[in-house]
Amino acid sequence: MSTDPTPAMTFHPQPEPGTPSPWAFPRPDRTTLANGITVLHCDRPGQQLVAVDVLLDAPLAAEPEGLDGVSGILARALNEGTDTLTAEEFAAELERTGATLDAHADHPNIRVSLEVPASRLQRGLTLLADALRAPALPGNEIERLVANRLDEIVHEQANPARRAAKALYADLFDAADRLSRPRGGTADTVKAIDRAAVKAFYDAHIRPATTTVVVVGDLTGTDLPALLETTLGTWTGTPAAASVHAPVTADDTGRVIIVDRPGSVQTQLLIGRIGPDRHDDAWAAQILGTYCLGGTLTSRLDRVLREEKGYTYGVRAFAQPLRSAADGSGRAMLAISGSVDTASTAPALADTWTILRTLAAEGLTDAEREEAVQFLVGVAPLKYETAGSVAGTLADQVEQYLPDDYQSEVYRRLAELGTAAATEAVVAAFPPDRLVTVLVGDAAVIADPVKKLGIGEVTVVTS
Amino acid sequence: MANPAPAAASTGGSGAAIAITEHRLANGLRVVLSEDHLTPVAAVCLWYDVGSRHEVKGRTGLAHLFEHLMFQGSANVSNNGHFELVQGAGGSLNGTTSFERTNYFETMPAHQLELALWLEADRMGSLLSALDDTSMENQRDVVKNERRQRYDNVPYGTAFEKLTALSFPDGHPYHHTPIGSMADLDAATLEDARAFFRTYYAPNNAVLSVVGDIDPEQTVAWIEKYFGTIPAHDGKQPPRDGSLPDTIGAETRELVEEDVPSRALMAAYRLPHDGTREADAADLALTILGSGESSRLYNRLVRRDRTAVVAGFGLLRLAGAPSLGWLDVKTSGEATIAQIESAVDEELARFAAEGPTAEELERAQAQIEREWLDRLTTVAGRADELCRYAVLFGDPKLLNDALPKVLDITAEEVKAIAGARLRPDNRAVLVYEPTDGTDDTAAADDTEEETAA
Repeated sequence: MSTDPTPAMTFHPQPEPGTPSPWAFPRPDRTTLANGITVLHCDRPGQQLVAVDVLLDAPLAAEPEGLDGVSGILARALNEGTDTLTAEEFAAELERTGATLDAHADHPNIRVSLEVPASRLQRGLTLLADALRAPALPGNEIERLVANRLDEIVHEQANPARRAAKALYADLFDAADRLSRPRGGTADTVKAIDRAAVKAFYDAHIRPATTTVVVVGDLTGTDLPALLETTLGTWTGTPAAASVHAPVTADDTGRVIIVDRPGSVQTQLLIGRIGPDRHDDAWAAQILGTYCLGGTLTSRLDRVLREEKGYTYGVRAFAQPLRSAADGSGRAMLAISGSVDTASTAPALADTWTILRTLAAEGLTDAEREEAVQFLVGVAPLKYETAGSVAGTLADQVEQYLPDDYQSEVYRRLAELGTAAATEAVVAAFPPDRLVTVLVGDAAVIADPVKKLGIGEVTVVTS
Repeated sequence: MANPAPAAASTGGSGAAIAITEHRLANGLRVVLSEDHLTPVAAVCLWYDVGSRHEVKGRTGLAHLFEHLMFQGSANVSNNGHFELVQGAGGSLNGTTSFERTNYFETMPAHQLELALWLEADRMGSLLSALDDTSMENQRDVVKNERRQRYDNVPYGTAFEKLTALSFPDGHPYHHTPIGSMADLDAATLEDARAFFRTYYAPNNAVLSVVGDIDPEQTVAWIEKYFGTIPAHDGKQPPRDGSLPDTIGAETRELVEEDVPSRALMAAYRLPHDGTREADAADLALTILGSGESSRLYNRLVRRDRTAVVAGFGLLRLAGAPSLGWLDVKTSGEATIAQIESAVDEELARFAAEGPTAEELERAQAQIEREWLDRLTTVAGRADELCRYAVLFGDPKLLNDALPKVLDITAEEVKAIAGARLRPDNRAVLVYEPTDGTDDTAAADDTEEETAA
């Protein structure tokens, strides 16, 4: 080699950090509008894009039999015109306001997110209020949304990550639980959705009394209570009791499902089970341990699978609440996800199981725990720099029946957690013999080597 | 981690002017600072003026592969130490490679800013003392898996690469995309990487921006301390000339028969260079025609004709070659490409003849303003934009003029650019027709890459 690697620069020792500035997760103020809407708001000076998250108490489990997907169609239809504006006019008005309005239906509820420049907050809230209070739900647009959704299902089927998720949920949960079936419905159920079904679902579940609104951004000079009363406050509706979510259960007997995707150059991995949600005392320890396992490219999984073996662009471990309940009977999805080149499928799985077994046998190190705590706690001011990220977390807390200071409490607990607690939580979260492994890839190539791994019975499916 | 950025966001300017100060070290490193004490965070962003346009035949993908190697350690930083130290300090970080530049960034709690500067300086000055075959072989495999994951294993995944190749002639510096080809990734050697570093990674070929809760005087002192002794060098070759005629003159077209879920019509229109008034006019035209749910193409194809499930236009802004107007339509149900194409052509011709309505122009300007606010809402977003204006246009202060410039464009200018550029003879077209998934041709394409694994 002709290179002379001797650098000409002057080196200095690695610098020591300065004094940290105090930072705390913002504490929202709570009010209730005259029509029953619960409001959380939080002033974030300098955040010129205001985020407004709305939680509508319409859980997927409330969808009528055979109409899976009606909640998702309703969510989209909220953007399709009001009592005074056609669908095209409504879209044009939003854009003229410089606003975006997105809505999607998930297991706990429908979430509507408005983002609007602070200077046009009044107009944005007026459009949002009209969409919730008096959506036109026009028959022709709903027909189109149904057709679009049917097209999307075909596209999702071609996407390895979506297909893996669909297969895991279908296998992990009992067929009677809404969690087992795709959030947006199947082709058969979506075809059955029409205006009458959407309107009936709206009438049954969408009302101010069970709605929560989170407003975050630069509210300097804004009389928010008055602004909310003249916009969202004009929505009227009958009272109703809040939904109660059923406990979550799953069969996590160790097994492998190969979803055949002939010709795939990679295998999509999704290895999952269910575990504690945020109500559990171990949640903070589970976050910490799961980060050490697979939170970043220097975590245990990527340290081997990516940085030593080059099998993947990146594999992540995570915990994602599915459906929570006030009594703590909710659960989170615990999973390891990523994709590896086809030839490396069985070797990557073998390494993953070795990593999990070693973790159970030897535990995390103090250095790993220290670095993870520094990251998870230290990154908070960055993570919550924007109004949208603060609003999203406040809305998650409400959705999951958690107190408003929950996130601050998590940071406090993370800072105090010991290595043993983090080890215990992550080992409990990812037991090697209680994981359901979904592989979307070329079954003809990967099935035999995977069977030899002994990580559970292998089934090959084609859809 | 390396995300090649195929599509640039629409850009405009900030409503409130951002305070900007500039410095230049003796070794040529340009420094841009902007103070903002709202949140105790600081963003560090470093743009090297090198991208895939600087690559030579047979070495496509080298700039991006090299970007990965920048995270593999340097004289005083262990393999992966860059990630460990930044994350262990509560920061986040990454790097990306595009046609025109490579950027590296860290967002830190304010009291950890000095660490990020020390780390960036260490690899700028001493990467080669740590770079070895083990890193090279490992990151080659990682990047090949990145290519598979992002492009080869997803439907329509190689459309960007195919349409770029159709849009820029063979031999043009923008003919290939940053991810590169599998064959070239395999062919790259450690010596190629070393030569690449010696050629392009120098203080006088970079701009460093620091934005957020900083003390400017102290920040400049740290930058001087850590970067000041890194020698400048002048080995850099300018990229090959990317200039092309304003219009293509005749349509080029490729038909792809693959296992995709639906038919698709994609096209790239040749547009003015980024940084010009005409590029802003084109941005507005594309926004009106194809951005959001009140756009002309969405209303026509998705709402009224119901022939499409997705219909939109995006702008890939390029400074060293013509920008591209990116059309993407995925058909619904049994709709044909011919139906879609005639509707698109009709809408574009009507727009070119009539121009935008006053309401359409107002909406497009409001959308671009919101996107710009969104981009500048974080310190990291601001740091990146400051580097962009400094590297591509020579002056970071141009950032403060960007939005007023977009808001100043008239309907007549939008109409003129549509008439001149959004024409069938000024585009490359890529058509997808689905096969049943067992077609031998499609399978053969896939296995070619797999054998390289």
